[in-house]
Amino acid sequence: MATEFVRGQKSQLSALTNGTDLYVGIVLEAPGDWDISCFGLDKDGQLSDDSYFVFFNQPKSPEGAIQKLGPQSGDTDSFRITLDKIPAKIEKLTFCAALDGPGSAKAITRGYLRLVAGGTEVMRYSFSGNDFSAERAVMIADVYKKGVWRVAAVGQGFAGGLAELLKSFGGEVAEEEPAPAAAPGFAPPPAPAGGTPGFAPPPGPPPQQAPPPPPQQAAAAPVGGAAPAAAAPDLPINAQPTRPGAMVSLQKYKEAPTTGRWTKQSSKMVKCTLGPEAYAKRGSMVAYQGNVDFDYKGSGGLRQFFEARMTGQKLQLMRCTGNGEVFFAEDATDLHIVELNGQSLSVNANNVLAFDATLRTEIQRIESAGIPGGVMFSLLVSGQGTMVIMTHGTPVTIPVQGPTFADVNAVVAWTAGMRVSVASQVRIQRNIYAGVSGEPAALQFMGLQGHFVVVQPYEV
Amino acid sequence: MESSLLQNYGPTQLFDRMSNHGSKIAKVVMQPGQDLFARTGSMIAYEGLIDFNPNPPQLGQWLKSWATGEGVPLMIATGQGLLYLADYGKDVIILQLAGEGLSVNGKNILAFDMNLQWGIERVKGVSMLSGMGMFNVVVRGHGWVALTSKGTPIMLDTREAQTLVDTDALVAYTDGLQVQPKRTMKLGGLIGRGSGEAFQLGFSGQGFVIVQPSEDARPTFSVRG
Repeated sequence: MATEFVRGQKSQLSALTNGTDLYVGIVLEAPGDWDISCFGLDKDGQLSDDSYFVFFNQPKSPEGAIQKLGPQSGDTDSFRITLDKIPAKIEKLTFCAALDGPGSAKAITRGYLRLVAGGTEVMRYSFSGNDFSAERAVMIADVYKKGVWRVAAVGQGFAGGLAELLKSFGGEVAEEEPAPAAAPGFAPPPAPAGGTPGFAPPPGPPPQQAPPPPPQQAAAAPVGGAAPAAAAPDLPINAQPTRPGAMVSLQKYKEAPTTGRWTKQSSKMVKCTLGPEAYAKRGSMVAYQGNVDFDYKGSGGLRQFFEARMTGQKLQLMRCTGNGEVFFAEDATDLHIVELNGQSLSVNANNVLAFDATLRTEIQRIESAGIPGGVMFSLLVSGQGTMVIMTHGTPVTIPVQGPTFADVNAVVAWTAGMRVSVASQVRIQRNIYAGVSGEPAALQFMGLQGHFVVVQPYEV
Repeated sequence: MESSLLQNYGPTQLFDRMSNHGSKIAKVVMQPGQDLFARTGSMIAYEGLIDFNPNPPQLGQWLKSWATGEGVPLMIATGQGLLYLADYGKDVIILQLAGEGLSVNGKNILAFDMNLQWGIERVKGVSMLSGMGMFNVVVRGHGWVALTSKGTPIMLDTREAQTLVDTDALVAYTDGLQVQPKRTMKLGGLIGRGSGEAFQLGFSGQGFVIVQPSEDARPTFSVRG
């Protein structure tokens, strides 16, 4: 069952297939001579080892994890990828097509990239010239490792041809040198691989070698050099200069690899991998990748609407649906990922950033004689799923062992099932600021073992 | 005197032209002939002989920027010594450009080498859709740049997929990326029931986007009571 991908869509490979021996077929119908190649890139997105540039002159990576099979089974070109054998330093395989000669990617009449595992097509990304403009090369799709192996439909044009594409990945192009000079890094051209048992490309004619390249293309071979040319600027201090380049300087701010549905990026940002829908505070999305829709999420009915108005425990939510990764943050507050596992938690609604749509929320009354106005409210969240709570500053979690008191305005959350009342003896009347009615109350929590109260160092 | 203040927060070692001291202070090694643009008022300390010129004639270009509302009052620091910069407790990002171009939101500029080429550019597409223009400072060349971010930022790789960013959380991006405004247009959004995410900028191409964990649009101070 093939999943149709659209441009920009990403997915974990395990969602498509459990296989690690993959067939990648690419069809490209366009005038002109197109070279299809695969770049094996390191964690910086650079071609640190040019033996991982698999193209017509080098149809195989050293250990054979990436093999170019040539046209077969109706595909213009095809590759065999053995994920288990790919060395750890290679984190990304980019499949590209580059035009040799005049023309542009706009002229592509039909094209797709498909992944086949065990003889079944599991993924297909179709593209056409409408997706591109005057570019002369196309980055079609990536198979990359971010925690686990993933696949992304890239569908992005690139202005230059194959040589420029290679340069942009940090490779070098030998300029018009005799072929032997460029040869040392090369593995001998192996016999075309095909028909290996266990690995099943769709039935079709036997694989052939790619058509012989035109002579000037033969010179477009990568030699040596991993790092971009050492054009380091003159710096005053040369004790231990870092490698220049904005991308290198920013490595420490790199996206954290996804470990689950909710991933902490830093203390102040979380990433949610969508599939199942999630709710988040309105306006808390700071960035996203993929196909995601943000929609108004109402309070659910007129009664709830008025209830929310009356109680102040109003969730201003939006519904996030689609496929992709969404980054949430709110005003640089500290974020905490809480997995409920079927338990329930009372939360101040102002501290809720996002949660799984599987969780239930309801407004809960806290009744006590000492509360001005008679009642107070909190939000009870329960069920199977994860929620993200925000606090201003590092909070403190206090296990409830004797009577525990917390300021109403600083308390963030507490476990459900405790007896909550107002501690009148610590009620303070604070009329320092004119117009402020004073600190209303401190809450007293009474509970058994296992209960806790979370308090933030901040009073709203 | 024994003190944790002295032991733990003393000067850090020098390696580069610019470095971080903690996450919120930028430290710049000043040398004659290597002048620096820095946000006015961002100096928190210095050692050596450093001069500050808050309104130098070279900054005529900024007049244009004040007219556009993206005023980044800058000063020029010259001299020899060590200069410490900070911006009201925001996180500092230091990066070294090797010929790349960087487009930075004016609010997030802290300092940059004077030998970089720079200018003010309008971010494509923003004014048309959101009704407000967005002007960025574009720096290019070989040298160092210090940016600020409210909270620990994140760097997203635009090679991986098209990256859509809330304009209020956008700090900087590689100059030359394809920028596409995106509006999540829904009927509900027109009658005041929007998701709060009406408008984003989409980036794609070879490069990165820096995003801060805060949508810095609201006023920082509000009167209480």
